[in-house]
Amino acid sequence: MSAKRFVTTQVEVEGRVETKIVEMPSRSPEPWGDDADLHVVGLRAQRMDALEKVTGQARYTADVQLAGMLHAVVLRSPIARGQVTEIDFTAALALAGVSDVLTLGDVPGIRRDGVQLFDQRIHYAGQPLAAICAESADVAHRALGLVRMTYESEAPVSTPAQALATDAPKVKPNGNTPRNMPKVSKRGDVHAGLAAADVTITREYRTPVALHTAMEPHGAVAEWVGEQVTVYESTQGIFNTRADLAAEFKLPLSHVRVIKNYMGGGFGAKNGASTAAAIAVALSRKLERPVRCIWDREGEQLDAGNRPATIQRVTLGAKRDGTLTAIQLDATIPLGIGGWQGGPGKFYHEMYACENVETRETFVYMNTSAMSSFRAPGHTEGAFGLECALDALAHELHMDPLALRVHNHAARDQVQDRPYSLKRLRECYAQGAEQFGWEAHRASCAKQSSSSRLRRGVGVASQIWSAGGGPPAYATVRINPDGTIEVLTGAQDLGTGARTVFAQVAAETLGAKLGDCRTVLGDTERLPFASNSWGSITTASVAPAVRVAAEEARERLFEAASGMLGVEPDQLESRDSLITVLGEEKSLTFAQVGRKLGDVMIIGQGSRGPNPEKTAISAFAAQFAEVEVDVDTGRVRVLRIVSAHDSGRILNPTLAESQLEGGIIQGVGYALFEERVLDERLGLPMNPTSHDYKVPTIGDVPVIEAFFVAGSDVVANHVGVKGVAEPPIIPTAPAIANAVRCALGVECLEIPLTPWRVLGALQSS
Amino acid sequence: MRLTINGVPRDVPAGDHETLLAVIRERLQLTGTKEGCARGECGACTVLIDGRAAYSCLTLAAGCADSAVTTIEGLGRADALHPLQQAFIEQDALQCGFCTPGQLLAAAALIARTPRPSEDDVRVALSGNLCRCGTYPKLVRAVMQAAEMMRAEP
Repeated sequence: MSAKRFVTTQVEVEGRVETKIVEMPSRSPEPWGDDADLHVVGLRAQRMDALEKVTGQARYTADVQLAGMLHAVVLRSPIARGQVTEIDFTAALALAGVSDVLTLGDVPGIRRDGVQLFDQRIHYAGQPLAAICAESADVAHRALGLVRMTYESEAPVSTPAQALATDAPKVKPNGNTPRNMPKVSKRGDVHAGLAAADVTITREYRTPVALHTAMEPHGAVAEWVGEQVTVYESTQGIFNTRADLAAEFKLPLSHVRVIKNYMGGGFGAKNGASTAAAIAVALSRKLERPVRCIWDREGEQLDAGNRPATIQRVTLGAKRDGTLTAIQLDATIPLGIGGWQGGPGKFYHEMYACENVETRETFVYMNTSAMSSFRAPGHTEGAFGLECALDALAHELHMDPLALRVHNHAARDQVQDRPYSLKRLRECYAQGAEQFGWEAHRASCAKQSSSSRLRRGVGVASQIWSAGGGPPAYATVRINPDGTIEVLTGAQDLGTGARTVFAQVAAETLGAKLGDCRTVLGDTERLPFASNSWGSITTASVAPAVRVAAEEARERLFEAASGMLGVEPDQLESRDSLITVLGEEKSLTFAQVGRKLGDVMIIGQGSRGPNPEKTAISAFAAQFAEVEVDVDTGRVRVLRIVSAHDSGRILNPTLAESQLEGGIIQGVGYALFEERVLDERLGLPMNPTSHDYKVPTIGDVPVIEAFFVAGSDVVANHVGVKGVAEPPIIPTAPAIANAVRCALGVECLEIPLTPWRVLGALQSS
Repeated sequence: MRLTINGVPRDVPAGDHETLLAVIRERLQLTGTKEGCARGECGACTVLIDGRAAYSCLTLAAGCADSAVTTIEGLGRADALHPLQQAFIEQDALQCGFCTPGQLLAAAALIARTPRPSEDDVRVALSGNLCRCGTYPKLVRAVMQAAEMMRAEP
């Protein structure tokens, strides 16, 4: 009896566990363990698309220029809540070069985050109300200034307290919270756990609204030809974008082609068809010309997603020896007008061993723009609360905060009561502490004078992130007649290095020269499916598919070569694109085989198999921070971050370290500077620019020593890889806040740690 | 108006109010120069004007008639890279690549006036060029390496 072709498997993406149907791959290669003899995988190979990027030849969405292309700009709401009474486009349409306007009647049924596009009911500041299309962006912008609009303004719901008040105006027709709030999740009995505790602590932590602030704003170019539309979009998911647009414009999937070669960052805000894409597609259809629609920076900061703020009321209970007996969270998360419920609670359930855990999350709607996932959504916020609370507990217990964490190490996944595929967090703690000099630094901080103006402190925090990826994902490997190789997959490279590592996996499997391999991504019409690049899943999802495809291709190549060499295929091996007969001198290069074959093409197809059953696959890290705080000014300087990571096998250490450094730097911004400031009376964001919304500059960066605790995760998948992108940002803010507590002897319960917050904490102590 | 871009004089039918960025990208279709904010905050649009780094989004094209403008397309070629481009590749001083042209030109202006920069010189010179991927540590290393390569050149 043959094995089943289609089975089901669990895939976890950003905390959401989904059951997926998966087609079994044609083969299940032997996993690459730690002792595997690998030559290309693991190399510090140069980023494959670096040349295009340093020469300016890499073409991003806004760089696409099509013959006859028009330019669209968006009219946005200047108020947070109310009703448009009239929009007068007369003067705008009279301007030479203005083509048309796109209004509510042109886009029936197209919604974003539950809001009808161009709704004349105003739900948040910056909401699109119409679009103007012109021969140039310059003319379109001038026309925008000629639009006359009248509206009736209403007092907005700008805070969770306002939203939850009994007489609050309704933000959504069904009220100001999603159904079934609070969302309660528990194991054991948290009250019994607290009763059994020797020590309990309670704190309330606050985290800000953070903005993704990708360098490249959202945008799209659309061109209709006949019944088909081609869309260039800056997106983390070309297939998601295709599905969204096909549904919205009632087109068959085959009639929507989405292309994305390069993108200037996403960080979670670009997971489907953007509002800009819907506008470009609608205008292009209406005007029968290509249309470009790119958000300006203010639009990007106002209306392109955000990491929601949180209020986290945390209670921990522990025995004298530090054993956690209870973890309790009551959190409020204002989502804005919409988005999904990615709350801080899951981190509390996952991070430490504890029998009694209860989290209550109340998600709240307000008259602000919708949240969207932002690098480790939920966990980055949750880690700030739990990891700071754990430090407060360590202080109460007179324990080393690192020792408390090691003591409460979770050997199993307690959420689904299953083993981890591999967990090297203990090694992360040990190697991180060694590299950082944890003991010595702690001792020297304890000895510093309490009268000095500059105080040093050190802090630690841990992280966990589901990073196993999963099916479906497909790849094709083609060998050309000259021996060059193409790896084709519909995945995305957001700047992560996906192109490069897929080529490394193909080269390794084929025994080919890396320089002969090229990865082609980002075109729904020409490439097999791969899922969104989100949740740190791309490499672990796609690399195994690439390996299977390359194995198929190698098998065919060897069969072809064996006839030419007069031996059996199993007598052949290959390295650096040279096929040799085992124990003999005879050999052929890939190119020689290819030339003899002529246009007979060697093609291998690969797919991603199921995940292991009843197994949690996560990436782990321990991060250590050293800070210097000026007690007169409240200024915090981060001096050094050491971060030790378990992400399974690392396919290219250079590229992976780049991601670690980048995640840590975003974490430094989240800890110290980044905050959307809202005028709570008017509901208006006060800092929707890259000047006033403070992302880290090159001058804000500490010494960063980020490294991997080596080890292939052969249970996770046959390449041994787990995700890298999100883990580094998760522990940074609490590690820094804990270091500030160590420096000052005072807890700061709210980030970002701006000078006035630090001074406030000092004064209240 | 007449502009000299990357050594080539070009007559451009642009309005007096148009920025250098708009003219470079939209009229001359030199799209290597990026628009990240269009208000002098992010540095993605950095070009060289007579060797000095400038935000092309805050520069009127009409004011550049007597100047030599260098964009990323004029820094080096794929087959004859500028040492900075070579160093950026070798040090992996880029991730998504969107800010990279601006970083390269800001660094080129630094090395032209300070052939032996300190790491702090590099940080000051690139402090007006945001990189959201956080490639900053490698940017410092790459610029230091390029400066050394250029000093070693005859």
